[in-house]
Amino acid sequence: MTRPDDPRIHDLLADRALHGLDDADSRELHSLGADTDDTYDLAAAAIDIATLPIEPMPTALADHILAARVPRTLAGWAIPGSPLAAPDVGDAPAGHPATRTPARPARRHHPAVTWFAVAATILVVVGASWWLLRGRPAPAPTLAALRADLIARASDAAPVAWKATPEAPGASGDVVWSPSAQRGYMRFVGLAPNDPAKTQYQLWIFDRTRDQAFPVDGGVFDVTASGEVIVPITAKLHVDDATLFAVTVERPGGVVVSRREHIVVTAARS
Amino acid sequence: MQPAPHTVHDAALLSRVARGEPGAVRDCLARYGALVWSLARRFEGNDAEDAVQEIFLDLWKSAARFDPRLSSEPTFVAMIARRRLIDRRRMRLRRPTTETIAAEPPIADHARGPDTCAEASQAARALEQLRPEQRRVLLLATCHGMSHGEIAEQTGMPLGTVKAHVRRGLQSIRAALLGVHEEAP
Repeated sequence: MTRPDDPRIHDLLADRALHGLDDADSRELHSLGADTDDTYDLAAAAIDIATLPIEPMPTALADHILAARVPRTLAGWAIPGSPLAAPDVGDAPAGHPATRTPARPARRHHPAVTWFAVAATILVVVGASWWLLRGRPAPAPTLAALRADLIARASDAAPVAWKATPEAPGASGDVVWSPSAQRGYMRFVGLAPNDPAKTQYQLWIFDRTRDQAFPVDGGVFDVTASGEVIVPITAKLHVDDATLFAVTVERPGGVVVSRREHIVVTAARS
Repeated sequence: MQPAPHTVHDAALLSRVARGEPGAVRDCLARYGALVWSLARRFEGNDAEDAVQEIFLDLWKSAARFDPRLSSEPTFVAMIARRRLIDRRRMRLRRPTTETIAAEPPIADHARGPDTCAEASQAARALEQLRPEQRRVLLLATCHGMSHGEIAEQTGMPLGTVKAHVRRGLQSIRAALLGVHEEAP
């Protein structure tokens, strides 16, 4: 608990709760031993809740968060002690506050760990030498080759031609999607290069089994060169029955729900 | 904080997330999605979507730190959200922006009701005990993230008065939540 007789600590904690601290103030609060005191932050949070008009979160946004986070979380992201756990979680078991735990001394390694590290280093050096002597491994297949392979192997993957809108006159190409593999590629010719700092292209996949108001996010991408461009599809959700593909121009990073103001190409799948 | 009279179900949810239990993330989104979304909307307006995703990412990482002896889950979630939103605001303020004039947010009806967390009800009662000018300044700082200088400019109060109101006001709310009477240091 914060020492009641140190006004500087209270000032810093109040400032942190309301406005955040710069690096110098953060270090000062840490040096005063009070940076784990959350009581001011919790008070500010309680005020926020008390005055907050609650409105429901858009369903599409929740779906997006689930699609993006669940696999990593289940892989052990938030599990204490996991190698993937966040650094501030420390070794505190669930339900116990790592923030109340004093800083741990430097970890001592068991001798076996040291020997393991030495052995691993030798293996890495030997492996690297072998790799250098035998030459570089075969290059990864190009997107064009992967696209051709998908068309050849997946019986449910047939290219569908893009239909350009007035927003992208001259754009052509096709989209290929395999429902069984849940993979696909977009091919563009004549789609204008974008400035990623200002806009990005985003693919939307309309799934017959879902609400048509919320097509599946197929990923954002850039067109950096003229000529033929092939882009892999990164659907954020499982697509059962794709009926329509549409590419829009969105802000950098894409959006969760498009306003569909700038549609550049579409492709209807029968 | 006082032991929070919330339900066992509430207390268990973040622990389930921390243990990586299947379905816990979905449950957490269902329970706290509206709270996080509403907070993000307050701070970010129409650009709330990215912030919400970052907040839940922080929440998954911080779930193991939740201690039901210190707060209820909603208040902990709101604290994690506020920290991320404040970080984003600090980053954003490095670029020139225009700010609209902020009005004092009213105490929400739900804060007095039985469905909210205990701390929010206590905070609402404590806010009503503050002098009107002190409450106004504190809410402008807490809910609108306005700096002392911005509040002084908007209210016409001297900067020193604004700082004192903010600090003492927040201390009063904190003391109410702790269940103790604290003299201002």
